[in-house]
Amino acid sequence: MRPLSPVLASLANVFKIPISQTLARPAIVPGPVTAAAQPAAARTFSSTNALLKRKQGAKTDRRITLIRYFLNHPLTPRPLRFSRTRYLRHWTIHRAWQLFQNQQRRAQTLELERQWHAMNAACEELRTGAGDGGRLFRKSMNKRGVFRDMFPIEYGRLQTDTPAQEGWNHAWVRPERR
Amino acid sequence: MVHCERASKPLLQCLQKASTKGLPALQVSSTRTFQTSARVQEEAQSEAQKLPFNKSPDPALVSSPRLERRLIRQGISPVGSRRRRAALQGSANIPFAQLPYQCFQEARKVLLQDREEKLADITRLREKISRLEARPTEEAGGEQVKKSRLGGMQKHLEHLKVLADINDPQVKKKFEDGQGDMSKPIYRYLADQKWREYRRKILVQRITQMKVIPDVLPHCDPIVDTKLYFNRSAVQPGDFVLANASTTAPKLDIQLFEGGEKLVTIAVVDPDVPNLETDGFDFRTHYLAVNVPISATSTKVDLAQLSVESQVVLPWEAPVTQKGSPYHRLSLFILEQKDSQPLDFAAVKAKESVRDNQLLRTLQGRYHLKAIGAHLFRSQWDETTLEVMEKIGFPLADVELRRKKIDPLPYKRRNPSTFR
Repeated sequence: MRPLSPVLASLANVFKIPISQTLARPAIVPGPVTAAAQPAAARTFSSTNALLKRKQGAKTDRRITLIRYFLNHPLTPRPLRFSRTRYLRHWTIHRAWQLFQNQQRRAQTLELERQWHAMNAACEELRTGAGDGGRLFRKSMNKRGVFRDMFPIEYGRLQTDTPAQEGWNHAWVRPERR
Repeated sequence: MVHCERASKPLLQCLQKASTKGLPALQVSSTRTFQTSARVQEEAQSEAQKLPFNKSPDPALVSSPRLERRLIRQGISPVGSRRRRAALQGSANIPFAQLPYQCFQEARKVLLQDREEKLADITRLREKISRLEARPTEEAGGEQVKKSRLGGMQKHLEHLKVLADINDPQVKKKFEDGQGDMSKPIYRYLADQKWREYRRKILVQRITQMKVIPDVLPHCDPIVDTKLYFNRSAVQPGDFVLANASTTAPKLDIQLFEGGEKLVTIAVVDPDVPNLETDGFDFRTHYLAVNVPISATSTKVDLAQLSVESQVVLPWEAPVTQKGSPYHRLSLFILEQKDSQPLDFAAVKAKESVRDNQLLRTLQGRYHLKAIGAHLFRSQWDETTLEVMEKIGFPLADVELRRKKIDPLPYKRRNPSTFR
């Protein structure tokens, strides 16, 4: 009797199909087919199960079996194989795309930095140049009561770079509490 | 087989001409695609190919056996396989940079623009460096400040030179084909990366696992790729070499990954010579040469061919291992001389005449050397050793070493009084 593959066995285990019980049962398979396949003398004198008698050391790792299963599976796409020139073209495009993304990221960071510095300069101007001894600046920097009494409506949803698809939902009303 | 070379060749030439003339922005040079340089060799080729194809077949396109044979008789071997040549006859044979794929061409535009920016950066940095060099030291903020600023700028300049060419597919292709020109920084950079990926790791592992590093020298950070050849066969780091193979001095291939020339000292040291009196091991210098010039383009060093008058301090001595002694590690070190200044050969020769127990650490301190490369091979007793020993007149050729037998401790009763 052929042993089940580990994958099938584990599947059977998951779906509670009692296939594994047949393995535990002593394999008494009378019939001319098995008798022809095995040497008859060894069969007669051995009370050991054929499965148990097999060498235990030659077992492959379960992970390797699974990797092989999925790599050889018909649904697995074939590996990407390119000719030399096509690979070089692919590489060129890949490098250009990486470069482009890098440039974009860099531009974004620089823009943010520029904005931060402009804000910083404006605050500094308010502190020193307003002529009120920095009172206005201190007032504006005061965080007391922020997010306590009132909550900014802008922060009612997660901040995103682009507006939402459907825009503002004007029909929304607060669900009445009962 | 269909022979269409005769018909297709002139047509192809026309196409090639038209395409290169029509697109002056997309010029193709042999080394770098992005470079705009003169096309001299192209015009020279068209002069020679006025003859009909069967009179002067093109080795890149010939596919009929008769013409191939004629070419071979002339001493020119056809390029590639016959299948490839036949396929090339029918192809449009467009240069790589002009392949009509939209995404590819857009990508090339991005890369070309980036290269332009990098080149502008390079010229700007060069001007900056020359301006700083022209300024007097006091104005620049002192000797140390000026030096460190210049060093940093030079480093950045080298980095920019690499960045300008690293996205060029032709450069990548040339490097993969092994046709990279080591005088250019980009190919040196790529070769360095490739070496560090595998070969350097192996080398460092071998010299540290076999304890060459603390035994012979305290520290070594290899920056040059060293290959060792005995009788034209390469030796991996740590290989066993037969005694008769190592009777002649090895050849070295020292690949430097920096520009400029360096003067190095090459030393081969064996730290495993058994010393029976002290029950320990001694050092022996098998080879010592100073003032060996290496550069990125001239890499071959034949230790047997170095000049006896000005370079070789201690000539090659064949390594032999006595029977019964553990294997000998023959470690080869490439040591950079300080500021690439030549050492005084006569003084070194007068001082370093003893081979036995000459420590490489001492030499390193005495002449201000710095280890930049290493290699290692091993020797053990084999069937050719005796012959080599007789040839070089090794004194203890007929001695076999044995481990000293240690007397076993006296028998202890299993049940002494302390147990009870």
